[in-house]
Amino acid sequence: MEVAVKHQVIKGKPIVNGIAVGPARLGWPGDKQISEIPVAASEVSKQIKSLEKAVGSTVGELQELRQSALKKMGGPVAKIFDAQLLIASDQDFLSKVKDDIKARRRNAAFIYNDHVKRTTAPLKSSHDAYIRQMAQDIEAVADRIVSHLSGNSKKKMEFPPNSVLVGKTFTPGEVLSYRQQKVAGFIIKEGGPNSHMALIARALYLPVIVVEDLAPAQFITGVDVILDGIEGKVIVNPSKDEISQYEHLKKRLGPALIARIRSLKNIPPETRDGVRVHISANVTLPGPAEDILAENKIPVGLYRSEFMYLANNRFPDEETQFEQYEQVAKKFAATSVVIRTFDLGYDKLSSDAVWPLEDNPALGWRGIRPMLDMPDVFKAQIRAILRASTRRNLKILVPMVADLSEVEKTKKLIAQIKFTLKKKRIPFDENIPVGIMVEIPSAVLMADILFPRVDFVAIGTNDLTQYTLAADRKNNKVANLYNCFHPAVLKLIYDAVEAAKRHRRPVSVCGEMAGDPVALPFFIGIKADSLSMNPARIVDLCRMINKIDSNLLPPLVKAVMSSPTADTVIKRLESFKNALESRKKGK
Amino acid sequence: MITRTVQVKNKFGLHARPAAMIVTTASKYQSEFFISKDGLRVNGKSIMGVMMLAAEMGSELTLELVGPDESQAMTDIVRVIESKFGESD
Repeated sequence: MEVAVKHQVIKGKPIVNGIAVGPARLGWPGDKQISEIPVAASEVSKQIKSLEKAVGSTVGELQELRQSALKKMGGPVAKIFDAQLLIASDQDFLSKVKDDIKARRRNAAFIYNDHVKRTTAPLKSSHDAYIRQMAQDIEAVADRIVSHLSGNSKKKMEFPPNSVLVGKTFTPGEVLSYRQQKVAGFIIKEGGPNSHMALIARALYLPVIVVEDLAPAQFITGVDVILDGIEGKVIVNPSKDEISQYEHLKKRLGPALIARIRSLKNIPPETRDGVRVHISANVTLPGPAEDILAENKIPVGLYRSEFMYLANNRFPDEETQFEQYEQVAKKFAATSVVIRTFDLGYDKLSSDAVWPLEDNPALGWRGIRPMLDMPDVFKAQIRAILRASTRRNLKILVPMVADLSEVEKTKKLIAQIKFTLKKKRIPFDENIPVGIMVEIPSAVLMADILFPRVDFVAIGTNDLTQYTLAADRKNNKVANLYNCFHPAVLKLIYDAVEAAKRHRRPVSVCGEMAGDPVALPFFIGIKADSLSMNPARIVDLCRMINKIDSNLLPPLVKAVMSSPTADTVIKRLESFKNALESRKKGK
Repeated sequence: MITRTVQVKNKFGLHARPAAMIVTTASKYQSEFFISKDGLRVNGKSIMGVMMLAAEMGSELTLELVGPDESQAMTDIVRVIESKFGESD
């Protein structure tokens, strides 16, 4: 019988980046009904022995998983199983369960599960994601113990390779074992990027997306879905075109991206006439791509720290932040990492009551503004960054600077933290560079006042475009105005770079434009110091840089800067690019 | 037997990491260890027990230790809690 399935696009939040295309497979657990079975007095000790055996098997399994995780994925992932091991071997909990088995004369599985429910009930209703995670870990352990008690090894989901699993959530153990069955990705109802499940999925290159109002009815086992873990959506029953589009995209990501970046011979790449162009990477969500970037000595030009907030809808504590920053600082010990302080508000919000309802969010409480209004939160972040800066390879970048006062307040705060850390004899980089994002026109116009007071600047082309043209980049009605190739935007970029050179400050370009091969000759022509882009763009841009002769750029820059419209600019840049690409290979 | 009242001072309360720290520290000692919060009394050497407290910042915890090494244990455990489990604020 043919079932007509609608073509549907469902929005979601990616917690592990990537793309998956494949048949959906529903893994919705029915409410696990564990039967309550009365037990004769003479059988009670048997139940208790079974429980002890089940616990022993579970502990053994967890130890194996832990070893395997440690070998394949490293310390932090292995720690997940440490927590579960502690839970499984909790003697006090077990003796309470055993006493209850004796007292109530019921089967071990039922009593064990009963106690687990009582323990997790107060945790599951918490607003705090850390506390909910504890409940998940307890349930993951209970799952194992109960299946050992019922005699069959856990009923694993069977599915064809390349399936996209849909369920409320999946445990770390399940992710590991489904990977053996060649799962392609996960669509879940609850989870965050720092959840244990996400940590393992990320290490295994398996994309995961969270759809808050996920309902099993939206999916039919066997019908194709596209998991777009980049834009944040799921396409049910995609068209042939969509499938081939995404298959193509998939080829350039994950392990494929790794392979492509590995193929780069020269970093930083050079133009045909030997001018070095510095390339760095934007990191939005930590992932395995970082290893390959670090291996190839590609620095992180923009570390978007707010993923930690967006994950749990609350600001992460200093310790959690420190662990993240320390991990990335260690990975990139041979190069550097620019950590942008939390850039929230406008389109990066959550349901947290902290965020006001604004009439003009783009012109509102975002970027550095909320941070200066919430000094405790800001200080915790600065402290965490400074504590992780002992290798002297970290830089602090402040977003959405409009005015000198914001720079001065930030510097004062940093000085206070440095003083406290010094008093406590906690080591940190005393000369940690502090820079500003240039994305508001006032920052460019006041460059001569601002730039000398900071160590470096980073031009944020996305927001700079929107503020210069007074066109909200999220508003479809004015989408035609929002164009980063508008001569006014180019003029501001040019002025910013010139001012940076005047004051001898390094200037980088972040934002979509930095990874656009059409814009590349302009940026090299005006001598921006570095370009920070999505890792997926790096290989193409390096190849293009190798083709450019920088001597040919000054007239191009002049032509572009004197263009009357964005269309003219694009035409000129595109014809330059096409001329380059039509060169014979290997010249 | 000794008892002491302490306050949970770290911003994000007694989540998995601090809970594990308390249990690991207390388990080094012979003495029996109980934590009470709002009338709920749990075995402080049981990770499930401590987790169940779901103690947020500002919660008051009453610590109880009974045994040969009770004062050493108390000092150690209190130090761990009052140093905010290594999370500075």
